[in-house]
Amino acid sequence: MTDKEFNNILDECLERIVLDGETMEQCLRRYPEQAAELEPLLETVLSVKGASAIQPRPEFKARARYRFRSALGEKVAPKHRSFFGWVPRWATALAIVLVVLMAGGGTVAAASNSMPDSILYPVKLATENVQLALTTSELGKARLCANFADRRVAEIIYMADRGDAHQVELITERLDDRLEMLVVLASELEAGESQEFLAASGGAEAAPEEPAVDGEDTEPVVPVTEESRGLWGGLGKNGHGQAQDRAGLQTTVADAAANNGAVMRAMLDEVPESVRAALLEAIAVLEDGYEKVLQALE
Amino acid sequence: MQGEESLVQRAKNNDQEAFAQLYEEHFDKIYRYLALRIGNEMEAEDMTQQVFLNALQSISSFRWKGVPFSAWLYRIAHNQAVDHLRKNKKRSTVPLDESLASSGDSPPSAAERKMDIEQLLAATRRLTEAQREVISLRFTSELSIAQVAGIMGKSEGAVKALQHSAIVALRRTMLVTEQ
Repeated sequence: MTDKEFNNILDECLERIVLDGETMEQCLRRYPEQAAELEPLLETVLSVKGASAIQPRPEFKARARYRFRSALGEKVAPKHRSFFGWVPRWATALAIVLVVLMAGGGTVAAASNSMPDSILYPVKLATENVQLALTTSELGKARLCANFADRRVAEIIYMADRGDAHQVELITERLDDRLEMLVVLASELEAGESQEFLAASGGAEAAPEEPAVDGEDTEPVVPVTEESRGLWGGLGKNGHGQAQDRAGLQTTVADAAANNGAVMRAMLDEVPESVRAALLEAIAVLEDGYEKVLQALE
Repeated sequence: MQGEESLVQRAKNNDQEAFAQLYEEHFDKIYRYLALRIGNEMEAEDMTQQVFLNALQSISSFRWKGVPFSAWLYRIAHNQAVDHLRKNKKRSTVPLDESLASSGDSPPSAAERKMDIEQLLAATRRLTEAQREVISLRFTSELSIAQVAGIMGKSEGAVKALQHSAIVALRRTMLVTEQ
């Protein structure tokens, strides 16, 4: 008897036992010549089937159901947020004025350090949006998003420590937005680089020459804070330089994924029970988001 | 099957209750598959949630081709598991704890079952990824060879051969453990 024939007999027995509820003895009677070889294998499978007793923890099921229901609700009635949708209009207007007139000034700096329970927090969010809107290069935007994601993590930890589950959920949504934006930017970064490579290769099918990436001198006037100085530096480079920048971004994101994930997991044992579910969801969003970003940068 | 087809169609049309019903029907099975495949409780939990969130996002692309809806969910879970394992090849796995035993069991049977699960997980860690997946899909998810082949992207003959080699390897490992 060939292996293939035996595999078919084994599978038929398994099919009968697993799906039809037949006993092992009934199967063995069908194939007396193979019974000696079949019996230990079928016994093993019956032991394996004991694993079907694995059940998810009830508290996990409840948390997962809640999260799924929320996502389901959002899908059916999606929120239409504008680019500046997270923040009130007054904060956006104030942020634009501050950004343009008071570049690097104290209010912007104070707002950038504010937490969600601060009156300046809407200004912080609006300033971020203005910075993103005024940054024209994909790499610059990507670095900003990575930095803003770090800020969201700090805010989640801050609010979780204060036992505010609702705020943790809200900030998690903002974190998700930033990481999603980072995924898109990282993908575009790669595409841009491929085009540059084609152009540089000079082949018959090379892509037309791309305009230079925005240089520092063409960057819009934006507040040059300590934080942003590093973020907008190094633009306007050739393909090799851009590849280095992308590698640098990859390292930054990988470090952030490891550090932020570790810090948030460490918080799990310290926060009030009422915040744990929200914090777990934030960790899931964080890990999933960073994973997608790193995939896009690979 | 017709009932499921109509349920899926309703879910595609943004019927919340229909999708919620599909979720409840398949959640435990997908969790079991991932728990055995990954061998880590917390990671299996996170991934199970993600499978359903991904399904929710891409339900519009689902086309009914006569195969159960679960095959599509397993395919999503399979892709996630492959991705996860590829990135965590060097990670050490944490044994599943007693919380995995059925909560409704009496203490002695829970203890016995827990021992079985631990033995099984220890044994499955010695299998190749493909063998572990066949065992998980075949015997904890109770899928047919054709369904497993569809999810894994392999021929039915290849799945049968993997099934045979996996059972033999499991048998050998479990015998050594018992001695």
